[in-house]
Amino acid sequence: MEQTPKTIALVGNPNTGKSTVFNALTGLRQKIANYPGITVERKVGTSIIGGVLHQIIDLPGAYSLNYKKLDERIAYQALIGSYEHEEKPDLVLAVVDVTNLDRNLFLVSQLLDLEIPVILVLNMMDVAEQKQITINEQILSENLGIPVISISAKKREDIERLKQFVAKAELSPPSPLAWLDSFQLRQALGKVKKEWIQPHTNIPESAQHTEALRLISEGNFEYVFYTFEEQEKGLKVIEQAREILEQAGENPMATEVLQRYDFIDRCTKDATQQNTDTSLSITDRIDSVVTHKVFGPIIFTSILLLMFQAIFSWATPFMDFIDLIFIETGNWVANALPPGILNDLLVEGVIAGLGGVVIFLPQIVFLFFFIYILEGTGYMARAAFVMDGFMTKVGLHGRSVVPLMSGFACAIPGIMAARTIENWRDRIITIMVLPFMACSARLPVYALLIAAFIPATPVLGIFTYQGITFFGLYIFGIVMALLAAAVMKWFFPSGQQTPFIMELPAYKLPKWDVVFKNVADRGWIFVKEAGKIIVAISIVLWFLASFPGVDQQEYDQNAYEGETIESYQLRNSFAGKFGQIIEPTIEPLGFDWKIGIGLLTSFAAREVMVGTLNTIYSIEGSDEDIVTLKEKLINDTDPETGQPIYSIATALSLMVFFALAMQCMSTIAIVRRETNSWKWPTAMFVYMSALAYVCSLITFQVGSNL
Amino acid sequence: MYPLNLTKEGEEVVVKCINCHCEDVCRLNELGCIEGAKGVIISNQKNVIFKVGETRLAINSDIAKSILVSSN
Ligand SMILES: Nc1nc2c(ncn2[C@@H]2O[C@H](COP(=O)(O)OP(=O)(O)OP(=O)(O)O)[C@@H](O)[C@H]2O)c(=O)[nH]1
Ligand SMILES: [Mg+2]
Repeated sequence: MEQTPKTIALVGNPNTGKSTVFNALTGLRQKIANYPGITVERKVGTSIIGGVLHQIIDLPGAYSLNYKKLDERIAYQALIGSYEHEEKPDLVLAVVDVTNLDRNLFLVSQLLDLEIPVILVLNMMDVAEQKQITINEQILSENLGIPVISISAKKREDIERLKQFVAKAELSPPSPLAWLDSFQLRQALGKVKKEWIQPHTNIPESAQHTEALRLISEGNFEYVFYTFEEQEKGLKVIEQAREILEQAGENPMATEVLQRYDFIDRCTKDATQQNTDTSLSITDRIDSVVTHKVFGPIIFTSILLLMFQAIFSWATPFMDFIDLIFIETGNWVANALPPGILNDLLVEGVIAGLGGVVIFLPQIVFLFFFIYILEGTGYMARAAFVMDGFMTKVGLHGRSVVPLMSGFACAIPGIMAARTIENWRDRIITIMVLPFMACSARLPVYALLIAAFIPATPVLGIFTYQGITFFGLYIFGIVMALLAAAVMKWFFPSGQQTPFIMELPAYKLPKWDVVFKNVADRGWIFVKEAGKIIVAISIVLWFLASFPGVDQQEYDQNAYEGETIESYQLRNSFAGKFGQIIEPTIEPLGFDWKIGIGLLTSFAAREVMVGTLNTIYSIEGSDEDIVTLKEKLINDTDPETGQPIYSIATALSLMVFFALAMQCMSTIAIVRRETNSWKWPTAMFVYMSALAYVCSLITFQVGSNL
Repeated sequence: MYPLNLTKEGEEVVVKCINCHCEDVCRLNELGCIEGAKGVIISNQKNVIFKVGETRLAINSDIAKSILVSSN
C-alpha cells in the first residue's frame, strides 16, 4: 500500500468481529456482543499502519448489498460514497467468519463488484482450529483475486500481523462481475445500465452493477432512494431485462444468487478442508431446550426474574457502603468548614444531591453486567426467536425483543437498535413503546421507595416482598409497552408483515475483559452524566429552597404546632412557594409539593428526582442528625395535620408515575433524530405523560381507600 | 418434496424450492438457504431452527411452510 493516508472500511456479515477488529486497530471501545446487528451506525477511528495514520470506519453488518434494513443501507451507502457526503473508502477490509466461509463470501462477491480494493480477513481462526477447518490462503487469494489473511481478532499478535499485511499489500481494484458466467444476465445487466441507470439516475459509476442487479432481481423500485421522474420508463426497461432471462429459462429472482454461490464454490473448493461432522454441536443441543415451545418462554422469564432479584439483593452491601461514605464526607465537610452559606451549599446541595444518586451505582453495574452477559453469550438472539410469535400478536416483531431488552439499560441504545427492524411500522411502534421499559435511571427512584416503604419480609424462600415489587415494576413496564403496542397497531395501516428470519450465532463464553471494561464504562458514564446535571440542579435548587431566610419572630407567629424552623423556612422558600402552586394538580395522585419539585426536575433525567429529594430534605433536616434519605422519607410528616406524607399508596403511585411518564430529554432528542420528525417525540411525550397521570391517580385513589 | 414445517428434529434435508414473497427469498438466499443447499433441523415447534451449512437460521412458521425440502 502506498504511504498515504487512506480511508479503510470494515465490512462483513453481522457478528463476524468487525467491531472487535475496529477496536483493536483504533483503541476505541465500540460495543461488541454476540448477536447480529450490534453496530447500527457508521463509526470512525484512526490507526497507524505502516507508519501512516489511516482513517478506519466500522460499519453495520450486512448480509448483502441489497439492503432491506436501515443499518444495512448505511453500510451500502458508505461503500458507494453516498452516505452524508462522505467519500467512498479507499480500501475495504472484508471481515468474514471463517467457520461459515461460503455464506460470508456472498457479500464479498458483491463487494468485488464495487471496484474498491478489498482485503479478505478470515476471522475466528481460533474457532476454526477447534472445528478442524483448514484454509489455504494462497489458493483462496488466487481464486478470488484479492489478498487474503487469516486472524483471530481476539489475539493481539494477530492484529499486529494484520497491520503489517495491510501495509505491505498490493492494492488494486478487483475486476467486477468475475462471478457472472451467464451471457443472458450480462446482457440484461447491460441493458438496465445503459437504458435506465446511466441516463436517468445519479448513481456513481462503480455502484451501477449492483444497482442494476438489484433492480433485475427485485423487479421494482420499492427501495430506490434516488429521485427520478420517469419511473414508467424504468419499469419497462426492467421488464424487458427480466424477459431476456426468462426466455433463456433463468429465474430473474434467483439467477444472480445461484451464480454467485457457484462462483464461491469454485473459489473455496480446493482452498478449504473441513471435517464434515454432522453430529449436533453443543449450541444445537442447548438450543433445542432454550428455544423449546414451553421451556423457552419459561427460561426467558426465569432469567429476567433472577436478574432483577439479584440486582436488588446483591447490590445492597455495596450501596450501604457508598451511603456511609457520603454521610461521613458530609459530616466531615460540615465540621471542617466554618458554618455559613458555602458550608450549607456543599453539604446540603452538592454532597447530598450527588450521594443520593451515586449510591445506585452498584445496581447499575449489576444490571449492565447481566445485560452484557446475555448479549455476549448469544442468548439474546434466542430470546428474539422465542418471543416472536407473542410479539407479532401484540403488533411488534421478534426483532423488537433485543431493542426492548436494551431498554432496560437505557432507552437510547434501544431506540437506535430498532434500526435492525425491517418494517417501518414495526420499527416505529417499537420506538414508541420502548421508553416504558424500566431503564436504569428509574432504578434509583424505585430502589429508594421500595427500600423505604415495602417490607423486606421473605417469601417463597429466595425472594422478598421488596424483590418482588421490584420485579413487578419491571413487569409493569413490559406489560404497558405491550399494551401500548397492541393499541397502536390499530392506528397504523397494516402493511405487509415482515416474517421472522434471523441468524442465531453459536453460543460463546463472553469475553470477560470486554464485559468488565464495558460495565466500568457504563458505570462511569452514569456517575459523570448524572453527576453533571445533579450538581447543577442541586446548586440552583439549594438556592431556591434556602431563600428567603426567616427570622425567629416570623416563625413563632406563623408556624404550625410542632413544625421545626427548618421546615417552616423550606415551606416558605422560593421553591416551597412554587411547589405549593403546583401542588393542587398533583395532590390527587398523593404527592406533596416536595415530590412535585422532584417531578419537575426529573424531566431533565429521571435519576435527578432522588438528588432533588436529597437536597430538599437535607435543608429541612437540622445539622446534628444526619440520617439517610430513606429514613427522612419515612419520618416526613405534613406540618398541618401531623400525618406521614408517604403512605404505601403514595409510594406506589409515585412508582407508577415514574414507570410511565416520559421524563427524559435525551430520549425525546433521539426519537426526533431516528424518526426525522417532531411528530413522534411529541406524540410520545403527550401520551406517556397523560397515561402516567391517569394511572397514578387510580393507584393512589384505590390504594388509599383500601 | 414437503414443506420445512413438516420436518422432524434431527432430520437432514435438501432445499428444493422456495416459494415465498420475493424479498424473503432474497433474504433466505443471502443467508445461504438456496435451492440445493443441505441442512439439518435443529428444532421444529411451529417456528423452525434450520441449520444450513454453518448458519443457524431461525425461521417463522409461515416462511417454513413455503420452503420445500426433500430428505437427504
Ligand atoms: N472466538 C472468537 N470470537 C470472536 C473473534 N472476533 C470476534 N469474536 C466475537 O464475535 C462476536 C461478534 O463480534 P463483533 O465485533 O461485535 O461483531 P460485528 O461484526 O461488529 O457485529 P455487528 O456489529 O453486529 O455487525 C463477539 O462475541 C466477539 O467477542 C475471534 O477471532 N474469535
Ligand atoms: Mg459491530
